[in-house]
Amino acid sequence: MTAALTGDPATVPAAAPPTALRRALPLLAAPVAFFVAFFAVPMVVVLSSSLMAGGAPSLANYARVLLDQYHWDVLAVTFRIAALTTLAVTLLGYPLAYYLVRVVSSNALRRSCVILLLLPLFTSNIVRSFGWMILLGRNGLVNDTLVGIGLLDRPVRFLGTETGIVIGLVYILLPFIVLAVGNALATVDPTLEEASADLGSSPFTTFWTVTFPLCLPGLIAGVIMVFTLAASAYVTPALLSGGKITVFPMLIFQQYSTVFDVHYGGALSITLLVVTLVLVALAGRIGNGGGNRS
Amino acid sequence: MIARILLRIVAWAVMAYLVLPLVVIVGASLTATSYLAFPPQGLTLDWYGRMLADTSYVAAFGTSTALALAATAGAVLLALPAALAIARYDFPAKRTLLSLLMSPLVLPHVVLGAALLQYCAALGLMRSFAALLVGHVVIVTPFVLRSVLPQLTPEQRALEEASADLGARPFETFLLVVLPQIRGGLTSGAIFAFISSWINVELSIFNTTAELTTIPVKLFNYVQYTIDPVIAAVSSITIAVAAVTIVLLDLTVGLHVLSKRR
Repeated sequence: MTAALTGDPATVPAAAPPTALRRALPLLAAPVAFFVAFFAVPMVVVLSSSLMAGGAPSLANYARVLLDQYHWDVLAVTFRIAALTTLAVTLLGYPLAYYLVRVVSSNALRRSCVILLLLPLFTSNIVRSFGWMILLGRNGLVNDTLVGIGLLDRPVRFLGTETGIVIGLVYILLPFIVLAVGNALATVDPTLEEASADLGSSPFTTFWTVTFPLCLPGLIAGVIMVFTLAASAYVTPALLSGGKITVFPMLIFQQYSTVFDVHYGGALSITLLVVTLVLVALAGRIGNGGGNRS
Repeated sequence: MIARILLRIVAWAVMAYLVLPLVVIVGASLTATSYLAFPPQGLTLDWYGRMLADTSYVAAFGTSTALALAATAGAVLLALPAALAIARYDFPAKRTLLSLLMSPLVLPHVVLGAALLQYCAALGLMRSFAALLVGHVVIVTPFVLRSVLPQLTPEQRALEEASADLGARPFETFLLVVLPQIRGGLTSGAIFAFISSWINVELSIFNTTAELTTIPVKLFNYVQYTIDPVIAAVSSITIAVAAVTIVLLDLTVGLHVLSKRR
């Protein structure tokens, strides 16, 4: 397809696939070799050790993972946290993206907001989660404020609850959705919205029938990214759970760092990978369906 | 009208939510108390002095910087030729190759970190700088690839052919024609690659040791057991590095995000 777009066939003799491959090969050799050696092969090593038990091929490790109710509970917690995070991030991020792209008229203000939006993104998860450890503590600013204005009688425990983890993850992942939706909004041709208004639609109708469908691919891309990052997050849950809540990536980390059971750990890794990829594929399918309709 | 006002309120509340923890960390790093307090009680820079006196923090800053620079250089060297090949030639299994190179974006980093620990142990590279580096190159390459690929357009290709027709050698064409045209994408991709490496914990944590550690991993291990204002001071420094990077980025290549003109 690319060769066809490159222009006149006379200037592009590389149209025949075998020639194309021969020309592409020198450029591809290093990246492919590197990714095979340090990405594909390590993943195959994990997969193959997950399929070995006691020196013989076996599904025992997967039986150990899948037949234990505990793992299902941890998976449920992990994906519940990821789903809640994704929902909250979308509900908070979409209005902010819309506001920054469509409402803010001053370029200077938008630029300052973009800088503030990127600042958390450029700061380590540790630092950001650490900020929430200070804020969400028993005598932290959040509890003090809520008690001070009379919304609460006494401090609530946030650290060590799923709510605390969701607050921390929402914070970390919010910029991703704002950028994804914002960049999609910025490419929507405003004349389409004007046309809709000229034809008598209310701003509300215009938004839901013109703007929203046109930015849906950007939203879906952001949602998928946020969901996978939330489901595979280790640092934020580890810091904000206070050891009281376990998410799936923690189980994997334990197996490799303290127990060093690569067979059982491998089965846990592959399980997380497969569940995540299946959910991403499902979301992508729903997203594509929506894209085609619009 | 009410919708407008509501939108404005939500947007500003979300902006406040984004800034609050960073303000809290910087504030807490200035407290004169020996525990973390926000708002700070008294003002002191002692915690910064203590951080600088601890050579392990300085060493970790060094490791993080060297790792991020090397990983970015590696990612550019891999992603640039791959992008050129993918944009120019219609070879078999192109989509599969692109998926392979982009998949670290959706792969849980904990899984890849564990895989590399086991694999590098087998190669005798366990918990070494090399083990950290190969992992970081794998996770940051997609950032460069993703931002360079859209810039290799048919128009760009046509200019390249014109240059060749006029007798420029392939290397000259690359340097004088291709590179200037993809500079924007390359720079922003490289900066995202650098930052992703600089802040990474989930991948690094498997291959770091007490001596060889990056700043986020060191902070992570420390924060789990002790919380004191030194941590807030180290965190504030990383926030400052991030702020300077973003402003420099805005002033040099320009942050072309959320703007109507592209």
